[in-house]
Amino acid sequence: MDSAKTRLAILCASALLLLAVVGSSCRSNEIGSPKPVEMRQVTDDLGRTVMLPVKITRAVSLAPNLTENIFAVGAGDRLVGVTTFCNYPAEAKSIQKVGDTISPNLETIVAIKPDVVLVSTASQIEAFKNILEQNGIAVYVTNPDSIEGMLANLQQLGDLFGTRDKADELVSRLQQRISNVQKGVAGSDKPKVFIQIEKEPLFTVGKQSFITVVVEKAGSESVTSNIETPYPKLSKETASTLNPDAIILSVSDDNLEANEVFKNSPAVKKGRVFNVDVDLLSRPGPRLVDALEQIARDLHPDKFGER
Amino acid sequence: MRSNRSLGTCIRTNSESDRRIVEEGISIKKVTARSSSKAFRIGAILIALLALTLIVASFLGSERLPLFDLNAQQQSIFYDIRLPRILLGGCVGASLAIAGAGLQSLLRNPLAEPYLLGVSNGAALGTMLAFVFFDRFEFSRPVMAFAGAGIASVAVYQMAKSRTGMNVERLVLSGVIVTTFLSSILVFLTTLLDMAKVRSFTFWLLGDLSQATRGGFYLSFAAVVVTTAILTWQARALNLMMIGEQDAFDFGVEVNRVRLLVFGAASLVVGAAVAASGSVGYVGLIVPHLVRMTVGTDNRLVVPFSAIAGAIFVVLADTIARTAIAPRELPVGAVTALIGAPMFIYLLRRG
Repeated sequence: MDSAKTRLAILCASALLLLAVVGSSCRSNEIGSPKPVEMRQVTDDLGRTVMLPVKITRAVSLAPNLTENIFAVGAGDRLVGVTTFCNYPAEAKSIQKVGDTISPNLETIVAIKPDVVLVSTASQIEAFKNILEQNGIAVYVTNPDSIEGMLANLQQLGDLFGTRDKADELVSRLQQRISNVQKGVAGSDKPKVFIQIEKEPLFTVGKQSFITVVVEKAGSESVTSNIETPYPKLSKETASTLNPDAIILSVSDDNLEANEVFKNSPAVKKGRVFNVDVDLLSRPGPRLVDALEQIARDLHPDKFGER
Repeated sequence: MRSNRSLGTCIRTNSESDRRIVEEGISIKKVTARSSSKAFRIGAILIALLALTLIVASFLGSERLPLFDLNAQQQSIFYDIRLPRILLGGCVGASLAIAGAGLQSLLRNPLAEPYLLGVSNGAALGTMLAFVFFDRFEFSRPVMAFAGAGIASVAVYQMAKSRTGMNVERLVLSGVIVTTFLSSILVFLTTLLDMAKVRSFTFWLLGDLSQATRGGFYLSFAAVVVTTAILTWQARALNLMMIGEQDAFDFGVEVNRVRLLVFGAASLVVGAAVAASGSVGYVGLIVPHLVRMTVGTDNRLVVPFSAIAGAIFVVLADTIARTAIAPRELPVGAVTALIGAPMFIYLLRRG
């Protein structure tokens, strides 16, 4: 009996010792050399091959719409750096700022030690890609510039951050809202719409801009959709011949009313000048669907009367 | 032949050659008196060219307008948009050209030009501050532009002045320094303020006539008329100043008064032009040079002829800006620089 008890005690003790050794060896492993992180290979929107950790824990976003999208797919808590333009959602404001989209501060980014920097524009990538990659920081380029691109971007980010389920759920909800708008405006007259980005000098959107697509999806026809440049400065002479039925202002502090040249247009005479928050309309993120719904309601109040 | 001498040859500091140039300076008057019929002819040709330019520009635009029986919309395009813009363009060109002509004579420097001397950037900074902070007051822009232009030109002049008098290198250096300093302040404010207002301002800074209004034209026109009158009135004194300030003083010119008048007039006219259209470069540099190559260095002719030639240049450049990629537009400053830079190199090589 005695020897059996002793044996059990020895067994328990050795088991504890083993656990302790294994446990401490694991800990010492963590403290000493970093545990090899599981990596995977992904391809970004520029077709570049990027090595990323399977589980991204520290990310920097260099575009306000990417910040919104990362929050929307439920990975906002993993953002450790954003731009000074990133003002939505409210939590984004308290994340460390790393400069703006055009001139990010590389020293700050390197000091933050993120796993990945998400970039929306390809223009600056050559300038800072090397420095970041030398510091073991991956650079991932993704530039959604349409409603479909925005939805795909949400799923892409869901894959990157391991929140694909949440992203899919969000995407199907957004798709539902988009198709509700399209059903709502189907068959109704399409008013001619002018989209004013800036009052003076007069800037609008052309064929290649996703804003044109959004506004037309809301049941309208853009009077500047034949212009090749995405954000052209428009001749006032031409503008005054467009006679839009409605004007949509992308509201910012220098774009609060329709330009003087539209004073005789049906839009101004009938008071059909509508404001849309510039952040909603100009960022390909989930709130683009808010802009779509708002424009559809403004242009077709009869179709969306119940709201 | 003699009156065709370029201004550059007048810039000598050696007192012996100064003496010679003083004698030549006096002979300039005789030469111009003799060739006054030639000057008259050139003046008539310039006025005819200006009229032709204005007519051609009125016919061209992103919209085709019929010759007669314009409907209400077409009338509005012509009278509210196209015509004020063409006329304002003419005033801006005239403003910059006479400011260039006056400053080049006063400072005895062929490179003196509102843009290179920091005067334009001073006006631009003044306009930007008005744009951002005093947008509610209608005349804040031209007033602040005038103040900015005045402060910049006084700063450049004070920096360039030394015990031995005005020196070409010092003047160009001071101008470049004030210009870059002011642009760095402009860039700094643009970054710091980060407002949509500032973004539209940066486009406007490249030179943009699309915001032309009748009010802006009247103001600019008044500034051009006043400045042309002041500079033509001071033309004899300016002719003597071209030889040297000391010589001008010996000939009884009130040097300080002329300096004040010319700097003041140039600031006024550049302020009005910049407030209306942003920074349109090269006009003040090449137009007075072209005029001097044709009629000689007598400022009684150079100033008014520069006004007309400058108007022609900017109206033509803006016609290109309005129509080249219609219905989109180019900034007029890009067009004047595109024409002006190669033309200036050509003038340099011709000596």
